Amino acid sequence: MNYLPSDYLPILIQLGLALAFIVGTMLVTHSIGPKRNSKLKDEAFECGIESQGDARTPISIKYFLVAILFVLFDVEVIFMYPWAVNFIKLGSDGFIEMILFMGLLLAGFYYIIRKGVLEWEK
Amino acid sequence: MLPIVLLSILGLVVLFLGFQKSKNLLLPATLLVLAIVLVANFLHWNDMPSLYFKNMLFENKFTMAFSGIVIFSAFLIVALTRGFVDDESAQPAEYYTLMLFSLVGAVMMIGFENLIMLFVGIEILSVSMFILTGSDKKNLRSNEAALKYFLMGAFATGIMLFGMALLYGATGSFNLTAIKGYVMANNAPSAMLYVGLLMLLIGMLFKVSAAPFHFWTPDVYDGAPTIFTTYMSTIVKTAGFAAIYRLLSGSFSGIYSFWWMTLAVITVLTLLAGNITAVYQTSFKRMMAYSSISHAGYLLLSLTALTNQSQSAIVFYSLAYSIATISAFGVLMLVAKETGVHSYENAERFEAFNGLGKKNPLLAFVLTVSMLSLAGIPLTAGFWGKFFVFSSAADRGLTWMLVIAILMSTVGIYYYFKAIIAAYMREGELSAIKVSPFYRLILIATTIITLVFGLMPDFLKGLV
Amino acid sequence: MNSSLLFLIPLLPLIGFIINGIGFRHVPKSLAGVIGSAASLGAFAISILAWNAFEGQPQVVKLFDWISIGQLTIPFAFQIDQLSLLMLMVVTGVGSLIHIYSMGYMHHDEGFGKFFAFLNLFLFFMLLLVMGSNYVIMFIGWEGVGLCSYLLIGFWNKVTNYNNAARKAFIMNRIGDLGFLLGIFMIIQTFGSVEYLEVFAKAANGSFSINDTVIVTITALLFVGAMGKSAQIPLYTWLPDAMAGPTPVSALIHAATMVTAGIYMVIRSNVLYSLAPATLGVVGGIGLLTAVVAASIGLYQNDIKKVLAYSTVSQLGYMFLALGVGAYTSAMFHVMTHAFFKALLFLGAGSVIHAMSDEQDIRNMGGLRKHLPVTFWTFFVATLAISGIFPLSGFFSKDEILAHVFEHNQIMWGIGLFTSMMTAFYMFRLLFVTFFGEFRGTHDQKHHLHESPATMTIPLIILAVLSAAGGLLNIPHVLGGGESLAHFMAPLFELSKQVNPDLFEGHLEHSTEYILMGVSVGAAVLSILFAYNLFMGKKVVPAADKDVTGFPKVLQNKYYVDEFYEAVFVNPMRKLSDLLYSFGEFLIDLVVNGTGRLVQFLSGRLRLLQTGETGFYVFAMVLGILVILAWNLLLK
Repeated sequence: MNYLPSDYLPILIQLGLALAFIVGTMLVTHSIGPKRNSKLKDEAFECGIESQGDARTPISIKYFLVAILFVLFDVEVIFMYPWAVNFIKLGSDGFIEMILFMGLLLAGFYYIIRKGVLEWEK
Repeated sequence: MLPIVLLSILGLVVLFLGFQKSKNLLLPATLLVLAIVLVANFLHWNDMPSLYFKNMLFENKFTMAFSGIVIFSAFLIVALTRGFVDDESAQPAEYYTLMLFSLVGAVMMIGFENLIMLFVGIEILSVSMFILTGSDKKNLRSNEAALKYFLMGAFATGIMLFGMALLYGATGSFNLTAIKGYVMANNAPSAMLYVGLLMLLIGMLFKVSAAPFHFWTPDVYDGAPTIFTTYMSTIVKTAGFAAIYRLLSGSFSGIYSFWWMTLAVITVLTLLAGNITAVYQTSFKRMMAYSSISHAGYLLLSLTALTNQSQSAIVFYSLAYSIATISAFGVLMLVAKETGVHSYENAERFEAFNGLGKKNPLLAFVLTVSMLSLAGIPLTAGFWGKFFVFSSAADRGLTWMLVIAILMSTVGIYYYFKAIIAAYMREGELSAIKVSPFYRLILIATTIITLVFGLMPDFLKGLV
Repeated sequence: MNSSLLFLIPLLPLIGFIINGIGFRHVPKSLAGVIGSAASLGAFAISILAWNAFEGQPQVVKLFDWISIGQLTIPFAFQIDQLSLLMLMVVTGVGSLIHIYSMGYMHHDEGFGKFFAFLNLFLFFMLLLVMGSNYVIMFIGWEGVGLCSYLLIGFWNKVTNYNNAARKAFIMNRIGDLGFLLGIFMIIQTFGSVEYLEVFAKAANGSFSINDTVIVTITALLFVGAMGKSAQIPLYTWLPDAMAGPTPVSALIHAATMVTAGIYMVIRSNVLYSLAPATLGVVGGIGLLTAVVAASIGLYQNDIKKVLAYSTVSQLGYMFLALGVGAYTSAMFHVMTHAFFKALLFLGAGSVIHAMSDEQDIRNMGGLRKHLPVTFWTFFVATLAISGIFPLSGFFSKDEILAHVFEHNQIMWGIGLFTSMMTAFYMFRLLFVTFFGEFRGTHDQKHHLHESPATMTIPLIILAVLSAAGGLLNIPHVLGGGESLAHFMAPLFELSKQVNPDLFEGHLEHSTEYILMGVSVGAAVLSILFAYNLFMGKKVVPAADKDVTGFPKVLQNKYYVDEFYEAVFVNPMRKLSDLLYSFGEFLIDLVVNGTGRLVQFLSGRLRLLQTGETGFYVFAMVLGILVILAWNLLLK
């Protein structure tokens, strides 16, 4: 069955209507809504406790390091599954390649430990 | 493909060497690695072109020459690092390892036969560069540069990957030869192929900082530590151009009429943006960033022409450009360190060279030769680079581009000579700079190479 | 002669450059000058050997294969033929004299060794230029001499103005080089070679008709290069500024050798130019225009070197005029005689400046004849020569050019004659104001006046002899001579004669030639008398432009005549001179500097695009992608 471009016209109209509705609503609410600002109203709400300092405080880099390392090593495991499934088909070549791969991975792991990345208190 | 293997393994060795208390061993070790790799690269020089790793990588004289250039440039740059021993927060082992690893990426880009390899190569190279750009951790500008580079780079990678996907969709293969077969077989390729090619090209042109994708270059080159600026402006560029050349000549020479005009416009834009903006700069380092854009323009000119001369033209040009850039930055690093003691903001301006000729004749001479070479004055390697590039353009009959390129090279003289004038004709309180013998040797070597290639451009051909 | 000896000709100056350049702080002053001069003299000696061994056939001596790209092979080779031999003699001969002269002139300068190093380097490049067997080597030399000229103009680099002059010279030259380079590329594309012998053989093999578009384009592009190097309109304003350099440099580079490179190039490419009479027309026109404009500007200059600079521009115009009418030999003849007398004039001026403790304004000189006898007499000889007085060298070369122009076009001849009158006038004005009358300088200067040392006067005397006798080289038939230069150079133009015989036709009756000679000498004498009257008789000092009392009788007698001259000749001339001067200095500078400004301006604008905001960069990139895609997919 062939569709002509004109067959898509209803969709286009609907798209236009949807967009117009959103834009229209946003414009209307902006223009008719009352605007009253006060210090209390603009303050961040923190369970009734007075807010202190900036929310953007630096977090120890160690969190990120551990998180990213987790992702790294976790993702590497994904490569093990297809290898395991095709173990026989890939044969000894595949085995050697996997050993190489794991070797490199372990080298990285060794580096991390020697660098002391995983030591929390230092 | 020995270089890739060697660089990966020996890179790890250097990384673990960093656990040693004494950091003094790192520099010689890295240089040794690079020397070994350089030799290994040329072992198969006389062999027939061949494919490696299940048709993923390709090796012939062209790729070997280019790999040779990047490895040799890396050797010179590493030699100029002086071991980072005077900087406490530096991590020399990591820097060296990243440089070695990034070379793996560069070699992959140069010899790719499969678009996947191109992507992996570009990413290895780029990610290393993101880190090295931000390696001056306490310097805000370095941080900003790294982040900018990363954001823009990620964006460009996205575009490039999109292009590759479309190419795969159109041709059903990532393999260069297969794509070429498709292009040859189909007289009217689909729009998907066209869009794919354009997107892929745009992504790669970003990496070599062609206009209008060049905006990151000055900020990043300026913010990064000078030694890594040198690395970026030579090795990343060289590898990038080799990759574009392989892509265009390997797969898409059949539809030259489709892409040449786009590339021509980009070339002209790049030449104009690079050269004209460079005129205004007061910082030598920033000027060099723009100058690197302009040199990208000259190289693109040769790619736009894509004649059988283009190959040797870009090899020669890349070599001449890399060597001259390395010696210019080598001098800048020494001078900036000396001047930086008195006034930090002047350290990388043209004024920093004031009076260089009086007290440091050797450095001034090295600087002058490199500037002359970059400007393309005869009897330097840079002249022949330009000559070959221009004659390949003339061969294709791109006269209008040739006129623009030669005019822009005249503009180039203006800003390159600013450095020479500062060195010889202005008074300055620069005192004699102490240069270690090895550093001096490297600077002399780059200068001699520039002059020898200037006198005998066939020297390279004579060697092999 | 062993042909490998030829390589010593450029090699000797290069060695001199290396010794003096690398060790200029260590080589003692006395030795530096000797090394520099010895290198130059050695090159001269070998050139003489080469001259004697020459057998009439062009000889190409290959050193090695230099570059090969694709099918194109460019050897590093020298070509010895009539043209390169003549240039060799001029360059090394005059060059040697100027080297020796510099030993005296630069004696007090702290950059003595550096100066000789640069001078030798210049010689090296100039020799490459004239000896190379192909256009690429010529271009290398061409760029190299430009670089040396840049270095030497800015030699006294403490003064910013000098640096600007140097940069102006370099950049203007580069604009010319743009044309030259494009010309070379077109030659490569058309002929597949850059070797002279191959290119000319292919050009003359009959596949190109006269005024073939390709040939016209090539020759026009090459001529653009010549315009820059040989200071023709509109690229001439750098040459007067270039006088900022030390005087021996002005003599060597900006009078005798480098600026004649353009003429050398046209003569070298005579086959191509003969195939393109259209270009020759342009060459002649520009040459004539330059000759007139520069001569008229020269009339009212008061800086001794500026007068000579404009005179050089004007004489170069003369040479191009000769080329334009196909009188290649005459142009070469004038190159040689001009090299002698203009080098002499500059060196004489240098001697004057030296004696006057770096004073260059002729208004502060006067009466120097008594203090500097040798300088005066040699300067006088050169002035006579340049004015074209029989039987000095300038008479023969200039007369030959005018005769050829007369064959070609009488109006051009008239303008040429007028130019030569102006030349005689301003040269004698210079002579009279500088060497005659009362001394007008300060007391200190007067006290200090002295004749220059022998190292300076001996080159002056030798050059004076050459300026006087140089005409013997090519005495025309009509005066009983053998036209030996013309015979010597004839083989160079055989191909040209073959492709375009019309260009070389036309012969003047002997009686016409006599009349022409008479007219031109008469005109010169007339303007000399006029100058004599004005500056000796009236004792006019250019600064005041007022009458100096003392010879009221003479004044009164000549008053109306002077008024007449003032009204009819001098005033309009001055107006014209001013006008042309402002045209030259402002309009042309406006165009040339304007381009520079435009680049600066654009640079300032483009710089603003670099906002530092990543958002904008990404935006620009997306915009770029959209434009590229839209253009390629929708518009194509």
